[in-house]
Amino acid sequence: MSAVLPVARLRSLARRDVLATIAAVALAVIVLAALLAPWLSPYPADGTSATHPADSLLGPTGSHWMGTDAVGRDVLTRILYGARTSLLIVAAVLAISAFAGVLLGCIAGYAGGWVGDVIMRVTDVFLAFPALLLSLALAVILRPGVGTAIIAIAATWWPWYARLSCAAAQAVRGRAYVDSARCLGLPRWRIVLEHVLPNSLTPVIVQLSLDAGGVILTAAALSYLGLGAVEPTSEWGLMVQQGQESFTTEWWVVTFPGLAILVTAFCFNMLGEGLRQALDPRRVIR
Amino acid sequence: MKRTPLLTLTGLLVAVLALAGCGSTRAPGGGGGSGAGDTFTYAFHLNVVTEWDPAVSYSNESIAMANIYESLTRYDATTKKVLPVLATKWDKSADGKTWTFTLRDGVTFHSGRKLDSTAVKEAIERTKKLAAGAAYIWDPVASIATPSPTSVVFTLKYPVALDLVASSGYGAYIYDTTAAGSGDLAAWFKTPHDAGTGPYTVASWQAGAETELKLSAYDDYWGGWEKDQYKNVAFRVTPEITTAWQLLQRGDVSFVDRLTPQLFAQAAKTDGLATSESTSFQNLVALYNTASGPLADVRVRRAVQLLTDTDAVVSALHGAVAPADSLIPAGLLGEGPVGVKPDAAEAKKLLAEAGYGSGHPLRLRLTYAQGDKDQSIYVTLLGSALKQAGVKLDARPMQWDAQWSQAKSPNAKQRQDVFVMYWYPDYADPYSWFVNLFKSAKEPYFNLSYLDDPAVDATIDKLPMLTATSPDQAAADYRSVQQRIIVEDAAVTPLYVLNDQRAYRSDFTGYADNPAYPNVVFVHDLHVK
Repeated sequence: MSAVLPVARLRSLARRDVLATIAAVALAVIVLAALLAPWLSPYPADGTSATHPADSLLGPTGSHWMGTDAVGRDVLTRILYGARTSLLIVAAVLAISAFAGVLLGCIAGYAGGWVGDVIMRVTDVFLAFPALLLSLALAVILRPGVGTAIIAIAATWWPWYARLSCAAAQAVRGRAYVDSARCLGLPRWRIVLEHVLPNSLTPVIVQLSLDAGGVILTAAALSYLGLGAVEPTSEWGLMVQQGQESFTTEWWVVTFPGLAILVTAFCFNMLGEGLRQALDPRRVIR
Repeated sequence: MKRTPLLTLTGLLVAVLALAGCGSTRAPGGGGGSGAGDTFTYAFHLNVVTEWDPAVSYSNESIAMANIYESLTRYDATTKKVLPVLATKWDKSADGKTWTFTLRDGVTFHSGRKLDSTAVKEAIERTKKLAAGAAYIWDPVASIATPSPTSVVFTLKYPVALDLVASSGYGAYIYDTTAAGSGDLAAWFKTPHDAGTGPYTVASWQAGAETELKLSAYDDYWGGWEKDQYKNVAFRVTPEITTAWQLLQRGDVSFVDRLTPQLFAQAAKTDGLATSESTSFQNLVALYNTASGPLADVRVRRAVQLLTDTDAVVSALHGAVAPADSLIPAGLLGEGPVGVKPDAAEAKKLLAEAGYGSGHPLRLRLTYAQGDKDQSIYVTLLGSALKQAGVKLDARPMQWDAQWSQAKSPNAKQRQDVFVMYWYPDYADPYSWFVNLFKSAKEPYFNLSYLDDPAVDATIDKLPMLTATSPDQAAADYRSVQQRIIVEDAAVTPLYVLNDQRAYRSDFTGYADNPAYPNVVFVHDLHVK
């Protein structure tokens, strides 16, 4: 048995939940812009390593719609390339967290006993620390960079998925189809992978979409504090950090990347909320 | 985990706004720092005190120490003259090896002890004995005699400009060595206590607090007190420039040591504020690892020099800095252009000669001060230039302690390739750059290019004496040793000289920036309008 997204419910909800629909479209545009950044950017070289000190801190004009930063790079270009970095971090963090969390959660939920206890107590230890604090601690130990940000955030994110999957696995392990599989003599790993895991995924999918916004904010916070992405990588949090000293005089350096963070995180949350409602079996759609 | 869209939206807005404004908003007031009344409040961008012992002090605390302690003389960078402070006059022998200082009458330490020649001798001898901080400035002194209570005679091993040495911002303070009584003076200082003769004394100190340090007037100060002088001084740690700017505008602080060039221009046009701008003696240098790693090859060092466009850095910093045409800032002996012009084509050629290219890419590790925006702009520009030449720059912003410790690591492999830091002289003389940064040493301290060039060492050793006996020859030697260090050894690139851009409330007069004492405000010189 596998999890099938209720397409009809989604279509129906898309008509009713306008905000989630707009968020989904906006996110599609952001993802597309990130993928096409080298072609959409007015100054593609500025997204990687080029600098133009003679053009530093120019305000928004026809040639630089969002102005330039302290070393003369086009802010619009940096935002487009920054979308790549942010989405890469989101994808990597959620993939690592979901993989590790769901696998451990399913094993803990299905096996129960001391195996489940050990896995869930370790999970509790991680959950005991505030996520941002633990991310900061890990990022301080490791060298700053996008990879560090991914590792630091993923290390604090997976326990939530473990908790969620464990509860879902506990709910399905007594179901008839799992008992049947057991009676047929299927090995435990096949029961977990083929029966327990797929039927525990629905809440995880909802949680993934809700968490994407949080990951963007945490990654931006790490970069802002000098523990995430480093120069010359384009990253929104890093851009906010670099422009903060001149916020009152060169507002564009901070405002546009700040808005990019706000809009993207907001869209992810709206989409997640929409998905949560769409996939909630208790919600009646007419 | 149930959330509502409205709550989510609110949370996001708060988070993003907090992110954008992180560290830039603090509750006003708090901690007792006020720009109003009889308190002068200095908003400083770093922590103030790291060391209370005046013999050892060699860091940011000079902005407070200069108001607590005094030396025999003070250097006026504008007139280029040495002025009397605790000494009213001084003479030197014909050979420049004997200096006699006459002490000011009526001076007492904060401990109550009267200043006399014995006290001066004891203070300088203790500083020499501890051999920490800038104690090296007294190295030329062979002995100190006290023929009378008001006369101190220094006999030197070789001639130096001792009046200039005595004006040093570090290591030259005269203090009461008996202030702790029979107790341990070093421990007594840490509590903290002070034993100076200056106009202010320590009222309270709390490391890590927003208003870290408060000073109060020393009533028996020899310079006396007038009604319009500040009786209290508060040092408020304000790392964020935007916060400092807001505090200054509101009148919560009296003085800000640095702003962005744009805010500085705004301050100049703001009613109630005044500004001061002058070239400092403080420059930023990039020191190249001459001993290990890829930069041990002089061709690679020269290539990095040729890829460093200092004019571009100066341009991007919009007036906050001035070009550095040599290691010695303008206004000091031996100034004059000694440098390398950028030449990317020549740099690529040198890198190819050294065996670096697409098949064997060069990767360099650079460390610089975390949170220093000016340095990060230089690093970004250098990274861009290096990348175009096929060199990957691994730049790490670090706290000073960590950056310095790594540079002094006994394991050469752990050391950086490029070390970026500011330097300024202890007294108005360029010797400090050379003896500290480029004289060979078994264990590196500040010689973080790890240069070991006997010819450079020999020239450096002669400089103090030449400065006293033959300033023209000293100036020529300073230029020739720079030619050797910068051009032939390619051990360093002088990047820029800081412009001191100060902003302060216009309700007082008497402030004059003195680059010989970086960031110091001599508060007793100020008068409230």
